[in-house]
Formats: sequence, C-alpha cells, structure tokens
Amino acid sequence: MAEGRQAQGTLRALLGISLALAVAAGLGACGSSSTSSSASGGGTATVLMGTAPDSLDPGLGATTQSYEATWITYTGLVTYAHASGEAGTKLIPGVAQSLPTVSDGGKTYTFTLRKGLVYSNGTPVKASDFAYTIERAIKLGWSNESFLSENIVGGEAFEKGKASSISGIQTDDATGAITIKLVAPYGPFLNVLAFPAAGLVPTGTPMKSLTNDPPPGVGPYEIESVVPNKSFAMVRNPDWSKDAIPGIPAGHVNVDVSIVSNNQSEAEQVLDNSADVFDYNDTIPPTLISQVESQAQGRYAKEPTVSGEYFFMNVKEAPFNNALVREAVNYALDRRALQRLDSGMLEPACFFLPLGMPGHPTAKCPYGEPAAAPNLVKAKELVRQSGLAGTSVTVWGGSRAPHKEFVDYYASVLNAIGFKASEKIVADAQYYSTVGNVSNKAQTGWLSYSQDFPNPIDFYQLLDAKSIQPTENHNLSQVDDPHIQSELASLGSVPSSQLSSVVARWQALDQYTAQKAYMAVFGYDEVPKFFSNRIDFTAAIFHPVYGNDWSSLQLK
Amino acid sequence: MRIVLRNRVALAFGALFVTIVVLCLLAPVYAKDIAHTGPDQNHITETVNVGGKTRDVVSPTGVPIGPTWKARFLLGADSNGRDVAVRLLYGGRNSLEIAAIATLITMVLAIVLGTLAGYTRGLTDGVLSRLFDLVWAYPAVLLGVALGVALAVGGINLGLFTLHSGSLLLPAFVIGIVFFPYVAKPLRAQALSLREREFVDAARIMGYPPPLGQLRIMLGEILPNLTSSIVVFVPLIIANAILLEAGLSYLGAGVQDPNPSWGTMIADGIRLIPGAIHLVLVPGIMLVLTVLSVNVFADGVRDALDPKATVRGRL
Repeated sequence: MAEGRQAQGTLRALLGISLALAVAAGLGACGSSSTSSSASGGGTATVLMGTAPDSLDPGLGATTQSYEATWITYTGLVTYAHASGEAGTKLIPGVAQSLPTVSDGGKTYTFTLRKGLVYSNGTPVKASDFAYTIERAIKLGWSNESFLSENIVGGEAFEKGKASSISGIQTDDATGAITIKLVAPYGPFLNVLAFPAAGLVPTGTPMKSLTNDPPPGVGPYEIESVVPNKSFAMVRNPDWSKDAIPGIPAGHVNVDVSIVSNNQSEAEQVLDNSADVFDYNDTIPPTLISQVESQAQGRYAKEPTVSGEYFFMNVKEAPFNNALVREAVNYALDRRALQRLDSGMLEPACFFLPLGMPGHPTAKCPYGEPAAAPNLVKAKELVRQSGLAGTSVTVWGGSRAPHKEFVDYYASVLNAIGFKASEKIVADAQYYSTVGNVSNKAQTGWLSYSQDFPNPIDFYQLLDAKSIQPTENHNLSQVDDPHIQSELASLGSVPSSQLSSVVARWQALDQYTAQKAYMAVFGYDEVPKFFSNRIDFTAAIFHPVYGNDWSSLQLK
Repeated sequence: MRIVLRNRVALAFGALFVTIVVLCLLAPVYAKDIAHTGPDQNHITETVNVGGKTRDVVSPTGVPIGPTWKARFLLGADSNGRDVAVRLLYGGRNSLEIAAIATLITMVLAIVLGTLAGYTRGLTDGVLSRLFDLVWAYPAVLLGVALGVALAVGGINLGLFTLHSGSLLLPAFVIGIVFFPYVAKPLRAQALSLREREFVDAARIMGYPPPLGQLRIMLGEILPNLTSSIVVFVPLIIANAILLEAGLSYLGAGVQDPNPSWGTMIADGIRLIPGAIHLVLVPGIMLVLTVLSVNVFADGVRDALDPKATVRGRL
C-alpha cells in the first residue's frame, strides 16, 4: 500500500514536471517565433503589390513600386528625411557628410563623402563610386537619365558615347571630395541626387540590368530572392548599425513582397490579416471599401498624394489643336463621376499642380467648381463654335481598372458634346511606350503622374517643349508654349530650398496652364494606407515622395 | 426535317435560341423606348427611384446599383452607370454577329479547302493538310488570343483589305481562321471517300476536261453529298464561336471598348464581385443559355442528318 502511494506520488510529480516543461516549451516557441512582437526588432512583414516594380536595379527603376524598395536600399549623396507629410520632403545628407556647398552661381556642387562607409557586401565606399553610379544610370538608359545627362557638364557627350566619362564629375578617393559641375543652374538638382538611381553602387557593377540580382548598396536594406514579376525580399542590412547615417534609421522587420495582380485578393488578404501591407499604388475594390472602413478601423486611412490624373489633349492633332475644343472638354467633364470610378479615392480638381506641391493655385477653377456638376451646355456651344463637331477621336487608355473605366466615361462625354469617340485600350505594361510613341499620333487619352520630387518643375516637364521626343515622349499634349518655356527657364534655376520665394509665380503659371486647357485635369489621388492588425499603424510612416516607408514598419 | 420536328427538346432549345436572337436584334427598340438610354451612355452621378427610395446609380465608393426590375436599369448598372440590360442585348448582337460572320468564314474556307484537298490529293492535298495541321496544332483559345492581341492596336492593313482595330470583323476574322481546320479536316476525309464512288467515276468518264472538269465534279458531285455534314457543322461552329468570342473579349483580345460583348461585360464585372455580382451573372447566364440552346439544337439536327454520328461536336 505504501509502495502504491509512493508510486502515485512519483507519477503525480512526473506529470507535474511534464506539464511545466510543456508550458515552458510553449512559451519558448511563442517567444522565438519570427512573427512575434518586435519590441526588440525582428520578424517579417508581408507586402502585397498589384504591379511589379519595373526594375529592382537602381540604375533602371523608375516606377513608384521600384522606388519603395530602392530608396531604402541605395542611398545617394543626399536623401529625404524619413517622415510623413511636409517633413518628409526635407533633404538631408545621405552618404555625404553634409548638404553641399553650392557655388559658381548655382553651377558647382561640392560634397565630401562620409568616412568608413561600406556596401551591404562589405566593399568600402569610395568617392569615385559616385561617378560610376551616375555613368551607369545613363548607360543603362534609366528613363529619367535626362535629369543627369542634360544637367551635368559632359553628361550628354557621355550619353552619346563621345566621352568615356562625365567630365563634370570630379572625385578624389583619398579625401572623399566629390565636385559636380552643371551646365546651367538647376534648382531641383539636389532632388535629382536623392533619386535611388543616384544611390551609390560599387565601381565595376556590371553595366547591364541586374533587376533579378540587384547590386549591393548603402542602406538599411538589401534586396534578395528576386523572382521576376512574382516576389522579392527586403532583408535588413546586418552592417547598417556600423554605417548608421543620421536620419536613416535601421529597419525593424524584414519585408517579403509578393506581386498579386488581383486587387480583390490583395485587399482581402490584408483585411483578414493573412498579409500585412496593401500597396498604396493599388486600388481597393469598390465593393470592399465599406467593409474595410468598418472592419479595419485603426489600420486604414486615406492619404493624400502629390499626384494627379488627367486626360492629355494633343495640340498637334485635330480637334485638340483648337483651344475651344480643349476648353469644352474641361467644361464637360464631371469630375465627381471620375471620383466615383476611382472608388472615391480622388479629390476632384482642375489645376495641374496638385495639392501639397508648392505652386498649387489658390484661385478658383476657370471651368467651375470641380466638385460640382459639369456645364454641358457651355461645352456643346464651344464645340459648335469650333466647327469641329463630328470629328473622330480615339481615346487611349490602359487596361487596368479604373483607368479603362475613366476612358469609357471620357469617350461617352466626347460623344455627348459632339464628337465620334472610339477607344484604344492597351495593356498597362505597354501603355506609356505606346502613347509615348509620337508616330502613333495619340489624340487624347488618360494619364497619371506622381511627383518624382517635391518641386513643381518636375510636373512641368510634362509640358516642357524640350521633353518632346519621338519615343518615350512625356509631353503627350505636345505643348510648346513660349510663355511656359520662358517661365520654366527662369523658375527652373531656383534651388528647392528657395521655392517659397517663387510660389506666387508658379501659381500664376499654373493658372495660365489651366486657362490654356492643355490637358483636362480631373483629380488628385488619394491612396490607402492599409495594414494588417500586426503592424503598428501610427508608427508607420507614409512618405510624401516614396509612399509606405517599409523601414518604419514595426510589428506590434 | 421531320425527324428534327419530332425532337421536341431540340425544337424547344431552337426556339429559345431564336428568341434570344430576336431580343438582341430588338436592342435599339428596347434602348430607346423602354430603357431610354444607349449602351455607352454613362449615368455615374445620377439617381434612380427604386421602391420609393432614391438611390445612386453608382455609389460614392463606385458600387453600381443592382437590378431594379423596372424599365430603367432593369438588370442593374455597371461601374460606369450603363444599363446592363441594354448592354446585354447590344452585346448579344455583337456576339451573335461575330459568331455568324466567323462561322461563314470558317465554313467557306473549310468547304473550299477541304473539298479541294480531298478531291485533288497529291501535292495540293499534302500542302493543305499540313496547313490544317499547323493551325489545328495551336489550342484555339491561345491562337485566338495571340492573333487578337497582335491585331488589337493596329488592325489589319493589307492594301485593299483593311480592318481597323475597333472593327467587329476583326475578332470574327480571327475566330474564323482558328476554327476552319476543325471543319476542313472531316470534310476532306469525306471528299476523299466520295471521290472513289461510282458516280464520280461516271462523271469523269463523261469526259469533262480539267481543270474545269474537276471543278464541275467537285461542285456537282462531291459538294452536294457533303451538305448534310455541312448543315450539322454550322450550329456547332456557331456555338463554339460564341464561346470563343466571349473568351477572347474577356481577355481583351476580342471586342474592343466601348462596344459591349458578353465577354467584356464579365471581365468588367469581375472586380466588383461579390457586391455587384449581377454584372457577372447576367451575361454569364445569357451566354450559357445561348450556347446550350444552339448545342442542343445542333444535336437534334445531327441526329436527324447524321445518325451514325460521323461528325463530332467537340472542338
């Protein structure tokens, strides 16, 4: 009997110990999970993107999807503060010790490289890497390379193959000095240097697209595991703490990015917390918005962006070579309708420079209140006066919703005011190159534009006559207006830091553009900041230039 | 014919198909006199009275109204505020028009080339048979998408033969080309068999000189004996053409905006599931009913004219 009680006691003790061990193991497993709270950092966040980046090679990437990844991977001489709102538009030193000394009437920029920097693969950073980086971006044909080749002395000669290097860039690896000479003063030049394309890569990086295996960079993240058009991973740079640059914090979590072309699926995954971030470039399907607003309170918000939607009107092609017709279109558009087509994520507008961009006019829209009903009577009268009623018009658009719906609506408006409109819908991937080919003689079509940098000169390249080129044309309205050209020549040399002194002139220019009706602006985009409940919503930065700042993502 | 008339199921579905065709042909009447709107007219910011309540045709978040079961927006609106019922009928017109033209192209090509290949044999047959095999080797949908996408922007411009990219003849041409070997090969096989028959020998003996003699025999002796097969093929091709057109339009390689088509309507409605599911269900049901009615009627015709079922309906 005593032995029996002893055996029972032993058994109870064993059970108790086993239970304690099981609890301890369970707690340990929770603590070591990669998806656990990151009070001390760590973990992985999943980002879903509807459109793949055009390239993950910093020397090529030029879309907003690409910039989201590359700006926290490749740091240039200068970069933007990691902050939301206007604070995020402030330029801070990147791999340079400080903002440059600008001399020679704004034509010479002198930097000094920070000491002791290394790339994510451990290679030391040299001053001459800057020259190589710029040359590589030009050689690869980065779509914005004209910012570099046209502004830096010797840039055009290098681009055309007449020189083996860019004469306007002088570097000294021993002292870390970098001197850049410009052809002429160019106000937004520091903004250009903040592009990821100017983010340093090691000298000797192959002069070919490395989008599937991006080169090392200086930044809090590295890009790895690229599966084209499917996924890639942003892994925290383990050496970043050593290279810490004030104002560029280390990331909190790794980021796995998946391309999910179906917006419905993308939104549902974030809504049910099986993915963490809905890419701000994508549209939440209209049928889900009410559900998101009600079920995702505290993790969903509409963020204004400095970007606009408009219909270009080619002033070289009838009927849009007639100002009366262009005005008629502006009077006829119901911007509230276009807002609804965009699931309500559009602020009706008619000025070219969006809200948040210096120079956005405060005057009233010359075509009536954008959020009010259109004036079809006036529009039809203008068309009648033009004598061009009945002209056939082809409206170009991309295939992805709601761009196609915008075009469907626009074509119906053109028909309503007296034209014979038909549509040409092109797959999104080919749209810009198709309408940008001047030989296609695109009369009118949809276009969207986001700022490359917070300077109105960036938007006005779309109306700059110098932008007109046979292919990859950005000035789709083919505007060549002497007043605009002379104002751009003057305003373009004002440095970004002194924009406030010329805001009134920009406002006047934008009002002039609206009156000329070179395009039919219909709204400024609002985008979703939409996360899972795992992400600390308030801590996550929505950057005014680069959208969701993945380096600020933290797990709760 | 009497056999067909005795097949009540085939008759009923045939009548259904005719009803659908008539309704689609009456689309302009419906649009003008009942719905009071056209297929391309947008009503995004308008309102409609439903059961005494005023409702947005398209909500501020972009969700279109569902079926009102009234004259206006009987079957609801799409994301652009267009009347779904009106677009359904106009889309049916486009789909049926394309199917009819595609069938005509298929049958003309198949009859001519199939008969030629089967009767002449030799090098001509060899070349034509390889052509049939080449086109048949590609899955119909993939070939249709490839051709449709290639021609969607620029159309066809071959001197006198021009089709602009928005023309309905373009998808009809693509579908006609895709399907012709499916008819040409069986017709060739039948022509091969028929050329060995006694009446063909008799015609040769009568001494009609080539090449007109051969043409005379093909038209006068071979072709009449292919009639029953041809009649059986026509509704089968129509049904498959309607389906392929819907598929191509869904994928953006068929009917181009803003022309409505059942395929484009389904594609436009996909992103609004489940909140506006009528956008997918309505054209989907119409497509099913149309193809089913043609197929069942075609089965009835085949049972009557080809009881040994030498012609297979599956493509």
